Amino acid sequence: MNQRAWYVRPLQYVALVGYLFFLGFPLLWLVSASFKSSRELYSVTVTLLPVEWTFTNFADALARQNLIGSAGNSFMVAITTMVLTVLISMPAAYALARFRGKMRAVGTGWILLSQVFPTILLILPLFLILRTLQLNDTLFGLILVYVTFTMPFSLWMLQGYVSAIPRDLEEAGSMDGATRLTVLRVIVFPLLLPGIIATAMFTFVAAWNEFFLALVLIQSPELSTLPLTLRNFIGVAGVVDLGPLAAGSVLATIPSLVVFAILQKKLTGGLLAGAVKG
Amino acid sequence: MKKRHVLAVAMAATAALALTACQQGSATGGDDGDTGGGEGGGEEVVNLEFQSLSDQPLAMEAVQGIVDDWNAENPNIQVELVQAGWDGIYDKLITQFNGGTAPDIIHYEAASIAPFAVDGYLADLTDLIDPAFASDVTEGIWESVTVNEEIIAYPTTLQSYMVFANVDLLEAAGVEIPSGPTMTWDELREIAQATTTDGQFGLGWGLSNPTATFMSLGLGFDGGYFEGSGSDVTIDVGEGELAVPEAIHQMTYEDASLDPVSLTQSGSEVLPAWYAGQTAMTVQGSFRVASIGTDAPEGFNWAVLPPLEGSVSADQAANPQTYSVNIDSEHVEESAQFLDFFTSTENLAALAYADALVPASTSARDALAEQTADETGWAEVLASGDSLVAPPFLTVDAYTQWKDTVATPAFQRFLADEIDSAQLQADLTDGWEQVNR
Amino acid sequence: MTAVATRPVTRRGVSSRAQRREAIALVVPAMAPIIVFSVIPLMAGVYLGFTDATLRRNDVADFIGLDNFIRLMGDRFFWESFRIGLVWAVACSVLTLLCAMGLALLLNTDLRLKSLTRVLALIPWAMPPVVVAIMWRMIYSPTAGPLNAALEWVGVAPVNWLGDFSTALPAVIVVAVWSGMPQTTVLLLAGMQQVPAEQLEAAAVDGASAARRFWHVTLPALRPVVLASTALDFIWSFNSFGLVYVMTEGGPGGRTMLPMLFTYLEAFKNRNIGYASAMGDVLVIAVLLVLSIYLIQQFRKGKAEG
Repeated sequence: MNQRAWYVRPLQYVALVGYLFFLGFPLLWLVSASFKSSRELYSVTVTLLPVEWTFTNFADALARQNLIGSAGNSFMVAITTMVLTVLISMPAAYALARFRGKMRAVGTGWILLSQVFPTILLILPLFLILRTLQLNDTLFGLILVYVTFTMPFSLWMLQGYVSAIPRDLEEAGSMDGATRLTVLRVIVFPLLLPGIIATAMFTFVAAWNEFFLALVLIQSPELSTLPLTLRNFIGVAGVVDLGPLAAGSVLATIPSLVVFAILQKKLTGGLLAGAVKG
Repeated sequence: MKKRHVLAVAMAATAALALTACQQGSATGGDDGDTGGGEGGGEEVVNLEFQSLSDQPLAMEAVQGIVDDWNAENPNIQVELVQAGWDGIYDKLITQFNGGTAPDIIHYEAASIAPFAVDGYLADLTDLIDPAFASDVTEGIWESVTVNEEIIAYPTTLQSYMVFANVDLLEAAGVEIPSGPTMTWDELREIAQATTTDGQFGLGWGLSNPTATFMSLGLGFDGGYFEGSGSDVTIDVGEGELAVPEAIHQMTYEDASLDPVSLTQSGSEVLPAWYAGQTAMTVQGSFRVASIGTDAPEGFNWAVLPPLEGSVSADQAANPQTYSVNIDSEHVEESAQFLDFFTSTENLAALAYADALVPASTSARDALAEQTADETGWAEVLASGDSLVAPPFLTVDAYTQWKDTVATPAFQRFLADEIDSAQLQADLTDGWEQVNR
Repeated sequence: MTAVATRPVTRRGVSSRAQRREAIALVVPAMAPIIVFSVIPLMAGVYLGFTDATLRRNDVADFIGLDNFIRLMGDRFFWESFRIGLVWAVACSVLTLLCAMGLALLLNTDLRLKSLTRVLALIPWAMPPVVVAIMWRMIYSPTAGPLNAALEWVGVAPVNWLGDFSTALPAVIVVAVWSGMPQTTVLLLAGMQQVPAEQLEAAAVDGASAARRFWHVTLPALRPVVLASTALDFIWSFNSFGLVYVMTEGGPGGRTMLPMLFTYLEAFKNRNIGYASAMGDVLVIAVLLVLSIYLIQQFRKGKAEG
């Protein structure tokens, strides 16, 4: 590791800063817009920061739309979806990765089909099934649908992570006489944890951001999720209320960033040990 | 082999099951929320579900106020207001109607609700509408909510395309602000040329979505594009139809008095340049009269010019906001009663003012004119309400598809100077043949 | 190392019945919601492609065999949008993978600022797509956007990013990469955590350079994750239209008319759900063809190297 040329490290930092700028700038712009008055938003003079900082957009966003309530709904739906999806798909993914045969072929086939077939064409049959089960216009129904729709992804990713774990490790464990469950818990699970976290983050975000299914399935305003509420800032003929929308979006982004900050520590928890060793 | 066969049968069965559910859904619609049990005295209370899209604070307040008034006066017919948003509402309605959960009273706009009427989801209101309101609204507007000779909605408020001008720039260029009842396209062209200077365009026009604008302003040149209704429709792209696109093309590429960048932007994206004095005029939806006051720099001196008049008339397309009744509602008559109340002169004027739109009824327009006598632009905007007529495309089945896949791309290419008007004509016509097969 | 993953189960046959039972028990909880909310709607959707179903009230759908597909063969608008969809999906998935791989490698080293970047890198992901689209419209704005302001500052003529025929599709692809990167980065990063440190150390001791270590140790170990995530990225890009719809509505001049957008218009705006479902069926077959070529090729490569 010592043979690295002197210029590698600075180059890495340049690249990192480049990435940071690319990824972070649009957010900076959004935050800045949320503090601009509508007069400034409709001005051709481009300024990075507001000339006059105003909080009216936030006040407007909070007063006009049920942001807090729908953020609560979204949070509940996203967390439940995340937990349910991971719990249900973990064992199935393990089975898909480890037991070959027909089930695997059928499973993979379904995963692909369900991802490729246009969602819009599934909406009507899905809606009728939910209505028959009296689950339309309920958050529980929405959660069930989200779990089903994020499952293909989470199954596929998790079985990828399982496949990457050398089977020798497991076999060594079972030769020591441990039961399969113990092997899973002690050997497989810790190795799989980063993959599980990544998948969990994905399902959380998918449920947090989803618009179309929520639009169609949720009727009562008090059950509205965050993307639905944010869309209400877009009026007739696509006329956008920029300031309040920006403010609402900034507020809406915070909870998922908090979840990310918590989860990403776990995601790279193993890294620290490795870095110290190296 | 045997197993595979079983699988095929099972697949067919599930598909059939889902499809049956599909059909049942459509047949038994409108069963939720509208059969309220008697309260106390055993008297039957009718509950109506009313899905409103009004989303501006003022408009929401106005709608809520009207509903509250009604509920207080009519204990036996209670209206429940359900707020929805404009964005995505078409998709939501498609599912609601097909899934049988559509509300009793549905707020939307004429051009977009028409397909639902064609597909049979809306009640015929022809005989239910209050005669006083019926005679208070012009024939042209009624036509815009008539599908297969049935009136399928109460028209309420409308918009038109108006020319907004920066008065200081016009005066600086020595242009007299037109004040007649209408303004010709040649006048517009002259003013645009006069106000074009180095670094300043005479006109900015947000035409990223040009079709609706062309369909509307084309009427002034007798350019209706379509002949017939339903699926038995022919297209005719002739002089009248091409007049507006050609005029804009001319101003952009011959006179260089129209900012070519603005043609690729939306209406609101063109406003900053106008506020900043980089363009002297802009064509916008009339509803902008309400927001210019707060968005423009302080002291911005502006006016609304008289409505544009084509070679034939100053007609523009009437595409009113509408209130329809679900055909599967168990209380069509009660819903119509509520809508009669909803569209009374006083209520309609309040609604129109809240959204900065033109009321459909003449009496409400008069009331509003009185109320807004000293606010900039309102007089011109309200005056444009007299020449709003139903455009032919409203009753054309494949219109939306033609608009999105053929017309908009073709118009955009023409406005970008990539094709000439002969090619535009050919694209529009051939594309129609392809779509309307 | 990857050879292990593709090796057949060693104890198969010894207790295959017990294994099958175990496998079924593991899969059952996932099956119930999948069958009710996914398989049934899917089957119905696929089947509709063979009918003349519309969205009319009390519509009765008749089975019409392959008529929809025959009609679709001659629909040049559809095939043009199909071509755009392929360009779009390939560009999105390849660029996303490359950018995300670079970022994941950086984040997997011991640089400072790393934890800050890790959270910042996730920002695009935390935003609802509609917000992403509106925000980028502001950035791309030809008159009031920061991008053109910056160009003007360095003396370059302004570009009409979303309005110009040649820049519209690339501009939208950049946004798609921006919003798709965090997810792929996280997946790759998680995969890198699984690469046994011992192997990398062993390779380093053997004198392998960083590039060689990446190529011969990290990349092969990441192969399943890379495969899964690019394949999904490809499908999703092909399948997505929300972002593009808000940004350009398929314009200018149809340059960003993705196939799903086209299908959506046919299904909901034209209300010919039967014909639209036939489009869906054709898209499924086409995407699966492209994917299976890619997957088979990659699996072969994996075997040859392992």
